[in-house]
Amino acid sequence: MALLSLHNVSKAYAGVPALRGVDLDIASGEIHALMGENGAGKSTLIKILAGVVAPDTASIAIDGVLVTIDSPAAARRRGLRFIHQEMSVVPALSVAENIMMGRVYPRRAGLFVDWRALHRISRDVLETLGITHIDPRQKMARLSLGDRMLVKISSAFLADAGAPARLYVMDEPTAALTRDESERLFKVLRGIRASGNSVLYVSHRIDEVMTLCDRATVLRDGKPIDSGLLNGISHDDLVALMIGRKIGDAYPPATVTPTAEIAYERPGLILHKGEIVGIAGLSGMGQTELLRKIFGDPGKAWKSGIAYVPKERRSEGLITTRPIYQNITLPHLQSQSLGGTWLTPRRERRFATTLGESVKLRAVGPDQRVLELSGGNQQKVVFAKALGGDPKLLLLDEPTRGVDVGAKFDIYSIIRDMTAKGMAVLLVSSDLPELIGMSDRIAVMRDGAIVLTTPAAGLTEEALLNLCYGRDAAAAQVA
Amino acid sequence: MLAFLRRYGTLAGFVLILIFFVIRLPDTFLTAQNWLNITQQLSMLMVVAAGMTIVMVMGDFDLSVGSMASLSGIVAAILFSFGWPIWAAVGVALLAGLVGGLINGALVSFVGILPFVATLATLTIFSGTAFVVSGGKTISGRAIPDAFGAFAREGLPLGPVTLPNLTIVALVVVAVVWVLLEHTTFGRRLYAVGGNVEAAYLSGVPVRRLKLLAFSLTGLSAAGAGLLYASRVASANPTQGSGLMLNAIASVFLGMTMSEEGEPRILATLIGVLILGVLDNGLTQMSVDSYVRQILVGAIIVIAVSASSLSKSTRR
Repeated sequence: MALLSLHNVSKAYAGVPALRGVDLDIASGEIHALMGENGAGKSTLIKILAGVVAPDTASIAIDGVLVTIDSPAAARRRGLRFIHQEMSVVPALSVAENIMMGRVYPRRAGLFVDWRALHRISRDVLETLGITHIDPRQKMARLSLGDRMLVKISSAFLADAGAPARLYVMDEPTAALTRDESERLFKVLRGIRASGNSVLYVSHRIDEVMTLCDRATVLRDGKPIDSGLLNGISHDDLVALMIGRKIGDAYPPATVTPTAEIAYERPGLILHKGEIVGIAGLSGMGQTELLRKIFGDPGKAWKSGIAYVPKERRSEGLITTRPIYQNITLPHLQSQSLGGTWLTPRRERRFATTLGESVKLRAVGPDQRVLELSGGNQQKVVFAKALGGDPKLLLLDEPTRGVDVGAKFDIYSIIRDMTAKGMAVLLVSSDLPELIGMSDRIAVMRDGAIVLTTPAAGLTEEALLNLCYGRDAAAAQVA
Repeated sequence: MLAFLRRYGTLAGFVLILIFFVIRLPDTFLTAQNWLNITQQLSMLMVVAAGMTIVMVMGDFDLSVGSMASLSGIVAAILFSFGWPIWAAVGVALLAGLVGGLINGALVSFVGILPFVATLATLTIFSGTAFVVSGGKTISGRAIPDAFGAFAREGLPLGPVTLPNLTIVALVVVAVVWVLLEHTTFGRRLYAVGGNVEAAYLSGVPVRRLKLLAFSLTGLSAAGAGLLYASRVASANPTQGSGLMLNAIASVFLGMTMSEEGEPRILATLIGVLILGVLDNGLTQMSVDSYVRQILVGAIIVIAVSASSLSKSTRR
């Protein structure tokens, strides 16, 4: 009997179907992958399970018993635990308070918060994930992005009297984690599987899913396409299932070789025209800070032909309540207006439409608000904005994070097209295959500085990872 | 139905208020003279609310507008009593507003104080200055030139009626702010800052300079409103602008309920000002006690803002 069985789940938003008759069975003791492009309906399905969104039709059974899940509390009572994609943490509170959020704090005399017990519970739950370097008394704001994610994940492992956890639902949990942190998480997930509980695992990282998960259900346009064992399926087959067509290589090949002409130079870093230099390193080694330093004063940077695609597209890259065209023209208002003062919306829309086409943006029109777009298309808006002034240097910080396979390939193609026109690209990424696949050279950062630069061709993931860890002597020979 | 209420609830409410007064005050409410009166009474509030809209587009507030209005009236009146010509005294009073706004802007953008705190502090500073300069007395009578007081009484003859000068000034200010907010890069950048200040900054928007400028304009408009007020009563008193601030913020909020994104828009603020003004005018004519009027105005703001957030937060 299935641990969780969903049957005929449908949901439409304002008449537009997001899910159409989805069935999903999760057995006891398995890690089940839920896959599909952005907009395929994964998030909606998870929100229905979490009791956040009410389905139009659905029958949900746990251990063969029909249940209704009409609130987050009901989901919790049924033994479901969620780690959502959005980083919903309160930076001003401590790690322990974030872990215990929404739970009853331990009390002294029924009144005062028992801080010592609170910290002990939090430390224990962090330790189940093998995390010992985070002090539960620390403010969340002091933690790196990866550490915050670990804290958030650990809160799902908090023991709950009366409602033991049965199924952990994880939406892109490794998006902000380093390889090491991810491995630690996987170990915990395998432990869950061994204990007879299950995991529903959503990730865009196909390699991760292939090694970690037992079975996968693939959604496309809100419909289940396939559900079966992952054993014996190839990487390419899985991608083809998700996007409904075959794609060749994951990374489009370079069409030109970089020129010898220098586009940008600073101590320890040289970028040639038409060159992509990748920045590798463990998380929090100063990659983002390096990009910010090169970018400097944003107003001057855009004017001098430096464009920046920041890491957090919603909080740093976009004004989501505003139309697409106003987002794209914002750094270029000087040239897209009369005398830098008088708005010319028609010209702006033309400018934005042209750029939108060049990045294969799928939208209703230039006036559509950004918040109505899928994650991949939102990222394309950020790219269109960056490419607007024909920059000489493009700074990319995790440009494909949380972006589906199809849009990823589009973004890689855009980067290739731009370098073919002579643009230099600095690419920060924690996705090692992406770095190796796209870069001409890779610079490795440790403790805030670039420690070495190596050609990307022929580099293996293992060798690059060793370089990141500082085992360069042995690794350099491999490279 | 719910979506309609959310979007057009405030406008529908305004229409209902109008219908109510037309029925209850059949002879006096719907006359050209009454409406000219309303617009004249509203002109000061409209000018302040227009300036308030500018800073609220960025998500900021300016609590000091009321005391700035008082101060500018006092400054002009004192200079009149020294025998300064009208243009010079008015110019200096407006300059005081600009400088006061610059101080607000500098505190918010360069020192980094929250607008609420910064302008609360300058509120008391401006108010105290007005008291000190005037000695706490009302400046009136012979000190005020006749032409200054006459400005508010006169207007542009339009056939049988006269369009009051105060109304004209308010309309011009609305038009200028409309052009600024809707048709210039300045306005676009303000809305960008209000939508997401970090994304705006990284897109090269000079956030600090923008805030400085926006607060200056708000201060200038407050000073302008203070002058209109002084002209209307042909005197200046260190507390006469104090009611403007809350009403201006209320008007902008009422207006914000009419936009889908909940953003302040100048024409929506205009409707907000009209709602408050019409309510005041009609209830006064019906001899409703002024304290009861206050309760009603507060209730209407609560209802309008609640209606516009209907079903946005039903699950929380």
